Amino acid sequence: MTPGEPLIRWDWLASHVGEIGQRVGEHLELTVIAVAVGFVVAFVLSLVALRIPRLYGPITWTTGILYTIPSLALFALLIPYTGLSLLSAEIGLVSYTLLILIRNIVAGVRGVPAEVRDAARGMGYTDRQILWRVELPLALAVIFAGIRVATITTIGLVTVTALIGQGGMGYFILLGIQLFFSTALIVGALGSVILAVLADGSLVLVQRALTPWTHAR
Amino acid sequence: MAARRGATVELREVTKRYGDTVAVDHLSLTAPAGRITVLIGPSGCGKTTSLRMVNRLIEPTSGEILIDGQNVLKEDPTQLRRRIGYVIQQVGLFPHRTIGQNVATVPELLGWTATRVRARVDELLSLIGFDPSRMRDRYPAQLSGGERVRERLQNEFLQLQRAQGITVIFVTHDIDEAIKLGDRVAIMRAGKLVQFAPPGELLAKPADEFVARFVGSDRGLKRLALLTVGGADLDPPVDPSRLDGAPVLAPSMTLRDALAEMLASETQVGMVRDGDRYLGVLTLSHIGRLLRTEKPK
Repeated sequence: MTPGEPLIRWDWLASHVGEIGQRVGEHLELTVIAVAVGFVVAFVLSLVALRIPRLYGPITWTTGILYTIPSLALFALLIPYTGLSLLSAEIGLVSYTLLILIRNIVAGVRGVPAEVRDAARGMGYTDRQILWRVELPLALAVIFAGIRVATITTIGLVTVTALIGQGGMGYFILLGIQLFFSTALIVGALGSVILAVLADGSLVLVQRALTPWTHAR
Repeated sequence: MAARRGATVELREVTKRYGDTVAVDHLSLTAPAGRITVLIGPSGCGKTTSLRMVNRLIEPTSGEILIDGQNVLKEDPTQLRRRIGYVIQQVGLFPHRTIGQNVATVPELLGWTATRVRARVDELLSLIGFDPSRMRDRYPAQLSGGERVRERLQNEFLQLQRAQGITVIFVTHDIDEAIKLGDRVAIMRAGKLVQFAPPGELLAKPADEFVARFVGSDRGLKRLALLTVGGADLDPPVDPSRLDGAPVLAPSMTLRDALAEMLASETQVGMVRDGDRYLGVLTLSHIGRLLRTEKPK
């Protein structure tokens, strides 16, 4: 940091409002794609694991390994194949959401009381109807808990994708490090945190709207 | 579990094995059309397994199950279940569906149109004494006084059952409930049917020591709840002034209630009156004699 320079230069902030807005947009886009694609993949794998319980071990084991690979190393590994691209970023981000999402989807569905499932079967629901009309709705709270954790984690991770040129709030963090410029560093870090808090709050609202029976009085 | 109106449910030599364990052993019984049949016995006796075989939640190892003479094992299980009511005591309602949606479950599965489902839901809610416009869109958690509602629903359901002649089979471990609600009670032990009889007969003539112990050593008292004052012999009327403090009993009263009132009074007898008519005097020895001689109903 240059001596005499204030922690935050408000004039810089004011002159970069447009760019900050653009980076926030990139950040959200990267996050939404990652969580959406991650959810679809996790959902399919969860259905497989619920259908064939002995596959649950291998599925969580594999996604668990993915989860433990340091993000920096993973992006570096992908560059030779998919380059400095959105695809590289999303492959990494999606793989980090899988473990959390699969665990929560499977736990949510398995957590539906056996008597409820039995009542549904006894009334003539088919297996597919039990899944869609009874198990998944009742598992929503647990599934949403997973989506919230996955979203917050992804918003944090997206800052790293700036390294492969994908922008987002990480761009400012990188800029701050390269130029010893604290204002950009703080904008990047704080921006990412604020995004995470807002995203989490929005998801809580969506969850409440989708599960009216849990809070109706 | 309730089969559609008036159907006879017959189990013929039904056996269910799990490996070497025999859960149900050559069980044969007929649940009469339009009546309530109760399956009861200690845990692990096979009563729940037997019930669940009727709508094929469990497949029998051997034997036949017939509803109105048709073999349910030849039917599509899902279609079969949609025409047999099925209720689990602990659950009752899906928590994530409103009362209206819960009631609509089977009609929707049967593919009824929305208007028809709606009309049926309102009709059924009214039948059990709920105001449809008030209850339809509430969630189960919003029902106040869960226990009272459950009890009320049970009573209303039984009235509905009697009025519409629905065949009901249910499982319980509560002998008092079985005696109170059942037209016929099947006592099971270790997968076998030990006795299948109306409650009065079960109490009066237990088939063996096991049944006698199961219905309880107070089975005499339990039987009194099934008998009425009107069915007992009476002493001829005596001057009411000599029976000061004796309770007045109606012929429709159960003998158990009558006995309680008689024991609590100083005279230990009861005056039996049918409205204005003074029929006679009920004494403790009449009750005792009835218990010893009464042919079970």
